[in-house]
Amino acid sequence: MPIRNFSIIAHIDHGKSTLADRLLQATKAVADRDSREQLLDAMDLERERGITIKASAVTVYHECDGERYQLNFIDTPGHVDFAYEVSRALTACEGALLVVDSTQGVEAQTVANAYLAVENNLELIPVVNKIDLPAADPERVAMEIESVLGLPAEDCIYCSAKTGEGVVELLDAICRILPPPREPVTDKTRALIFDSHYDDYRGVIVYFRLFDGSLKVGDKIRMMGTGRTFTISEMGRYTPTPTKVNSLGPAEVGYLIASIKTLEDVRVGDTITLERDQADEPLPGYKEPQQMVFCDFYPATVTADTGKRGDYEDLRDAIERLHINDASFTYEPQHSDALGFGFRCGFLGLLHMDIVQERLEREGGLEIVQTAPTVSYQVEMSDGSMLEIHNPSDLPDLSKIKAIHEPIVKVEVICPNENIGDLMKLCDARRGVYKGQRYVSDTRQILDYELPLAEIIYDFYDKLKSMTRGYGTMDYEVIGYRPDRLSKVSILINGQPVEALSLICHRDYAEQRSRIILKKLKEQIDRHQFEIPLQAAIGGKVIARESIKAVRKNVTAKCYGGDITRKRKLLEKQKEGKKRMKSVGNVNIPQEAFMAVLDQGE
Amino acid sequence: MIHSVRNIRRRAEHETEVTVEMPENSLASLTQLISTDGAIQEENRQNSIREVFHNLKHRRAVELTPSQQFGIYLHIPFCFHKCHYCDFYSIVDTKDRQRAFAERLEQEIRAAREWLAQPVQTIFVGGGTPTLLAADLWRNLLTTLADSLPLAPQLEFTVEANPETVTAELAGVLAAGGVNRVSIGAQSFDPAHLKTLERQHEPANVARSMDRFRHAGIHDLNLDLIFGVPGQSLEDWRADLESAIALKPTHLSCYGLTYEPNTALTRRKTMGRVTPIDDSIEADMYEHTIARLSEAGYEHYEISAWARPGHRCQHNLLYWTNADWWPFGPSASGHLNGLRWKNVPRLTEYLDHGPLPRVQDVEFVDPAARSGEALMMGLRLRDGIPGERLERILTEAPNVASSRRAAIDRLVAQGSLEWRDGSLRLSDRGLLIADSVLVELI
Repeated sequence: MPIRNFSIIAHIDHGKSTLADRLLQATKAVADRDSREQLLDAMDLERERGITIKASAVTVYHECDGERYQLNFIDTPGHVDFAYEVSRALTACEGALLVVDSTQGVEAQTVANAYLAVENNLELIPVVNKIDLPAADPERVAMEIESVLGLPAEDCIYCSAKTGEGVVELLDAICRILPPPREPVTDKTRALIFDSHYDDYRGVIVYFRLFDGSLKVGDKIRMMGTGRTFTISEMGRYTPTPTKVNSLGPAEVGYLIASIKTLEDVRVGDTITLERDQADEPLPGYKEPQQMVFCDFYPATVTADTGKRGDYEDLRDAIERLHINDASFTYEPQHSDALGFGFRCGFLGLLHMDIVQERLEREGGLEIVQTAPTVSYQVEMSDGSMLEIHNPSDLPDLSKIKAIHEPIVKVEVICPNENIGDLMKLCDARRGVYKGQRYVSDTRQILDYELPLAEIIYDFYDKLKSMTRGYGTMDYEVIGYRPDRLSKVSILINGQPVEALSLICHRDYAEQRSRIILKKLKEQIDRHQFEIPLQAAIGGKVIARESIKAVRKNVTAKCYGGDITRKRKLLEKQKEGKKRMKSVGNVNIPQEAFMAVLDQGE
Repeated sequence: MIHSVRNIRRRAEHETEVTVEMPENSLASLTQLISTDGAIQEENRQNSIREVFHNLKHRRAVELTPSQQFGIYLHIPFCFHKCHYCDFYSIVDTKDRQRAFAERLEQEIRAAREWLAQPVQTIFVGGGTPTLLAADLWRNLLTTLADSLPLAPQLEFTVEANPETVTAELAGVLAAGGVNRVSIGAQSFDPAHLKTLERQHEPANVARSMDRFRHAGIHDLNLDLIFGVPGQSLEDWRADLESAIALKPTHLSCYGLTYEPNTALTRRKTMGRVTPIDDSIEADMYEHTIARLSEAGYEHYEISAWARPGHRCQHNLLYWTNADWWPFGPSASGHLNGLRWKNVPRLTEYLDHGPLPRVQDVEFVDPAARSGEALMMGLRLRDGIPGERLERILTEAPNVASSRRAAIDRLVAQGSLEWRDGSLRLSDRGLLIADSVLVELI
């Protein structure tokens, strides 16, 4: 039976999941009444956010030109934070449907995903979706696809995942246009792991695509990257309900279960081979996940007595549990003077960070305090060694540092023509390097910039959205590290440096950033009986200062019979509040002050 | 010895049985019983103070006997206008429920008689605007008070007056009924600042009302003044103070303007329509007040209170020395031997449920909190807290006694507290930042 392996790629909300479900329905894989709204997105969270975090694979059958085809649909994560996972999923396919919303047009992730597919030598079928909507303009969108991506407009298939219009034509196109899988190049088994997830009852479920050889139940397998071995206890395909099979052959896609306890033993991109007859080399392209964005998580409630937050243990449990499901974030215990005990976590990107936080809160039932994200820096030491740091307070003594390197991203912004000027100003203000611009259509353009990741991890996206009234979209990809004039700014309160408030930033922006921070501190710290100087310094040099005036009068004027309880409780509350404050150089600093500073938005 | 009291806490969705562990026969247990258990508070909300007392007596065998110094407070909730800084319970009554209210209040006084065996040393009638009550209603009320309660021969009987509402007739009725002290809400003599406070009286009416009271035979007169009004300068305040001194009151209460939650003034501040004055100007105003009134022969005896020798307000001293008083009228608060409560505030509910009104916010203050309150209130007095009384207050809360002693020593070393004539008091410096000092002691 001929096989076609394909993915669907799209910008967020362009209808990928709905289309996937419609394809399953059209092939009779799912009865109408079984069709949950979006069948492939397993998690509530994904459904709510309209994005797909974990890929899975579904096998369906379609008859075309008198022949029955096996179609393996490999779902991909929708966001570039998971670019590596997307690329592994794409490697498992020969073709992809590039879905574009006919009311929206080509967006930043459309372009990024299309490039990723082309890099992986995939055949693309452009699909213009949502043609049932009144605002649909499929011809215009087809022209955009042609002008931006070079895919002929007349090759576009118009469809509505919602009504089912054009879906059968699309299935036919998959059979006719997408190339068949390549022939095996060796008789030794090689299967690519393109996804995995953790099931509470069955352990890790591994999704794979066979390129060479075959796998069957009972086989002892070896993960070529990690060197771990397991014995397959169950194998099958999702149709979309799991259907057990005894063996799978070349070009086929399926899942396996092999008493794997943790996702750490299964790396996306790794190659499965047979223990008794190992392949000479793994399939190309395996990489370790790279955490680029870091932040701290602390439980939101505090127990004043121990300094240890009451929910710390709960947070640890929740993080450990989540890590079983998502091995691509890192965590290590962290203690902050201001916030007590918590964890420093590393993420693939900003969206990944948001997802992890939301899942911790939702699945762990926790309230979490999250500090502002920072990036990972590479510090070039005078002796030539390199040191990676994720926290400004880990920065070694300045005299021993030759240079600080920061991650740089390539950013693509698609926006209406009239916003180009403002966006260029925004990028320039964020130390961006202009790389070019192209027309998507006569009303929209693509703007290419290279920017330090540190400059886009806070409020860049919000600014982009507000400048373009929601029409702008962006995508970014880390392209490497570059040295720049970066400094560590220390914050001093009443002459005492407060490590938890220090930050790394570009020398040219240090004064401006420092002034914002000092202003926030001034708002948050109560006046004391003495004047409190607030300073920002680089090395020993003060670059910004503020001061909190001494309080001269603080006395309740009236206190009679009905006021006593209220007044006492107020004092007790203030006293409790003071207990929770961090005292630095005789100054009581409320937790809110730390939070206000760590929340770097303006 | 630990024993448990079982209570049923009712919840909307389900019923759970809650067991409260508490030491037997301690006041703390009562506090827990009353203030931590939702069910009982809910119950109290429905009941009058009679039921609360009954419960205390029978469940916990607690006798509530008033202290030697004992007074009563009556609340008259009517106003013709709600002043923008005021957070007392008052209503601008358009339905003319004055007569019904006065009769209800008399009923309450008669009903409380059985609880009040102790001679009443002080009576304070506040509001609202007590002088808004019609003269004939006042006459009845005063008669009821005299007939129903055991009044001490040296009774101090204060009524709050709004300068606008004082007629010669009313002054005469009050004097004849035993009122011997009047507190007049002057607030300011500057029309602009009166307007900011939304006070609706002519500055000249203050002097006129004082004349009327004096003519009727009431010579113990207090003036309430407010400083730190938005837009007020130090010079403005000096002028206000001079105007007040010229009227020769026996007592002056000078309050720094407080932005109380849930007042129109605070809302205007939040919306940015009024800007509070700088606290250093307010400090200057306060320091000027202290110096000037001392020069004019007034004793500064509490944070905001000054009196000619022998004219201190005995009723307010009950509050500041943690003595006992009984409340009458809607929203009035009472205190008896550690038990605090408040009559329901809504006039309609007050009118409909008698003879003793329903109560709320019932709290049996535990020893630690009680001693905290004693420190908080006692240090408001410029004479401070006598050494032996301080010792009693501290030992009442053994758990925190040592940390409080350490805090006292620290604050004395810092110069915010000082010992004078065997009493612990706020220093002149500590006085201006009394709240920052008290927070260390609570």
